Amino acid sequence: MFAIESGPAGVVVARGRLDAAQAAAAQAFLDAVEGVVTLDCSGLEYISSAGLGVLLKTQKRLVAAGGKLRLAGVNRHLQDIFAYSGFDQLFEIEPAP
Amino acid sequence: MTTERAFKRSFDALPAIVAFTADSFAREGVDPALQPAVDFALEELFTNMVKYSRTGKAEVRIEMTGIADGVEVSLTDFDVDPFDVTRAPDVDTSLPLEARRPGGLGLHLIRRMLDSIDYEYEKDRRQSRITFRKTSGESPGRHGAAETGRK
Repeated sequence: MFAIESGPAGVVVARGRLDAAQAAAAQAFLDAVEGVVTLDCSGLEYISSAGLGVLLKTQKRLVAAGGKLRLAGVNRHLQDIFAYSGFDQLFEIEPAP
Repeated sequence: MTTERAFKRSFDALPAIVAFTADSFAREGVDPALQPAVDFALEELFTNMVKYSRTGKAEVRIEMTGIADGVEVSLTDFDVDPFDVTRAPDVDTSLPLEARRPGGLGLHLIRRMLDSIDYEYEKDRRQSRITFRKTSGESPGRHGAAETGRK
């Protein structure tokens, strides 16, 4: 189960499991965002390398246009994945409390 | 005890694989805290089999066995060419954003999340078998890699 939707201004909320089967839907949604965007990951339980590819492609596009994608509410498992993949150097990451 | 099941070669099988893993963990008494890493490794290895095997049509068999402080998992793929996942190159994760390209992270990451990963290919039967272990000990992490081997 995966869901992605607009939250308050500048916030996108992702929930569930962003796996290979859901990556295309996530990419289609994020292709439409602009500027500085915070992805609320507090309900995101899991991300695969396909999901990482979605985040990387989005970050490259936004940064090239003067914006960026921030990752907020990131759980411990996702923090490990972001660290091992070097994404902690490419994204501003706010851990879950 | 070992639990096993075969899955159709499709991304649509991923939810069933996750459910099978959760059920196997419960049956084998494996620490549920290990499941995210096992889910990640299984998805990466399974989707590689789906994407890159041009000849295999048979279902992929997954076996799960409880071991001391963890779990051993095997994936067997039939009627396929060899592809040793333990020899896939690492990604340079120090590159700046403009030089990074999507892709290739899956195998890079599982080598950092697992204790060990082995690859075995039976030429006569055209059968690939990948076996990995995950325990509650420290994973290799950002600067390390799991023990790898080829049988």
